Amino acid sequence: MKRGLFLASLGLTGCGYHLGNKLTETTWIHNALGVVQPLDHRIIGTRGMAKLYTEAAIDRDFRTNGFNPPTTPEYARWATDDFRGYRLIVNGMVDRPQAYTLAELRAIPQITQITRHDCVEGWSAIGKWSGPRLADVLAMAMPQHGARYAVFHCMDTTDDMSLYYESLDLHEAAHPQTVLALKLNDAQLDPAHGAPVRLRVPTQLGYKSAKWVRRIELVASFSAIGDGKGGYWEDNGYEWYAGI
Amino acid sequence: MEAHSGPVYRHSIAARATHWLWFVAILVLVTSGLQIFNAAPYLDASDKSNPARRVLSFDSEQGPRGPVGVTTVFGHHFRTTGFLGYTDDGMGQQEERAFPGWITLPNYQDLADGRRWHIFFAWMLVIAWTTYVISAAIRGDLKDLIARPSDFVKALPMQLYYLKLRRDPPEHGKYNPLQKITYTGVLFVLVPLIILTGLALSPGVDAIARPLTAVFGGRQFARLWHFTFMAMLIMYFGVHMFFVITTRPVQNIKSMITGWYRLGEHDGVGP
Repeated sequence: MKRGLFLASLGLTGCGYHLGNKLTETTWIHNALGVVQPLDHRIIGTRGMAKLYTEAAIDRDFRTNGFNPPTTPEYARWATDDFRGYRLIVNGMVDRPQAYTLAELRAIPQITQITRHDCVEGWSAIGKWSGPRLADVLAMAMPQHGARYAVFHCMDTTDDMSLYYESLDLHEAAHPQTVLALKLNDAQLDPAHGAPVRLRVPTQLGYKSAKWVRRIELVASFSAIGDGKGGYWEDNGYEWYAGI
Repeated sequence: MEAHSGPVYRHSIAARATHWLWFVAILVLVTSGLQIFNAAPYLDASDKSNPARRVLSFDSEQGPRGPVGVTTVFGHHFRTTGFLGYTDDGMGQQEERAFPGWITLPNYQDLADGRRWHIFFAWMLVIAWTTYVISAAIRGDLKDLIARPSDFVKALPMQLYYLKLRRDPPEHGKYNPLQKITYTGVLFVLVPLIILTGLALSPGVDAIARPLTAVFGGRQFARLWHFTFMAMLIMYFGVHMFFVITTRPVQNIKSMITGWYRLGEHDGVGP
């Protein structure tokens, strides 16, 4: 009887074998499965604060993943000169577009936080991140009324040869723990971890924490950027709200 | 126990509807959950990923005659080639992969779509649980279901009856003592724990409900608990199916569709 049951359940799974793929690839089902995301986002909101850890919890050898560091001649040149030639551009729907040098970013009050990086794959690592709050960096550019999202244009090349990008709404961008990290574990960011500037959003999954940020563009809608889903991984099926 | 005949109305419409919603939700959650698990096929009893506190992992390594799958449980290695670690990639080949394609949703490795299914059906599970508990409470059905101290006393005689070491089951209501203990455990302990551990491993939830993640030992530990409770739910499902099939399969399944059950000599010994 147990053997029969086992075979029956195998049979049941067998019936669903291709059914599951078919359903997944059916456009309306694929879209319908995504309807809970805005609900999740609304319930969780941006009021939460990520846990802060002590020095003892830090992973000294912080795991790297995602795409490879940029390989452009420009990036290579910057990297040999402590990124003195690099500028972080803030433009789009702002009254005062900015092009910050690293020295200027370091002159903004720095936040240091030891937080956990939760990858969508399921692993976590803890690092100590320092840099200006994103909110302060954006405020100096004077966002216009009507700007709703900050889009992060990055320098790393993705699997489909496009450049990585990500986005946050301005509530998430204003979160006090959302930081433009310049340092990891008390050292200047190295190329593998996103030098010279990376985003850190400890309240969401790792793919939001874009590395190698080149330009932050304020927009009313991201539908005209990439495939219109608000980020490289979002364009590849991942949720725009990455708090779950 | 006296044998009756003639149908009785055993399951309310809410109980039947939510029963099948449970079934679909759990099927989708387990298969999509294993898909998600495959993206990081190891479980650590720790807040962050920590190989020193690894409880379970699935790996592939090169053997003398090609790749082998290795399952490691508390440091003990087991060869599981073809089933775990090195297995069906969902597209007719073998690859380095924890759980095989025939048990994941979708079959091929696709974390993004696994997450879409999982996060949607997590809501279905919550809806099924809430609807069932509220409707059963209103109808007064929870009285029949929730185990009381006396049920624990009667658990042993009931077990002896199941093992045919006792002629009659102990006196009981709609559900027998073992059913009540099991249903109470699954409905009010196991399923809530599955939902809570799932929430606890989300960074956004951790940020708004930090004690929740902390109670389970941190994010990676919550992931380990989530997996463990899933395994327990599957064990319950196995026992449940065993009783559905070995007691009165047609009546059991029919009553969970139409609501009506024809009483017989095995009344009270059900799934």
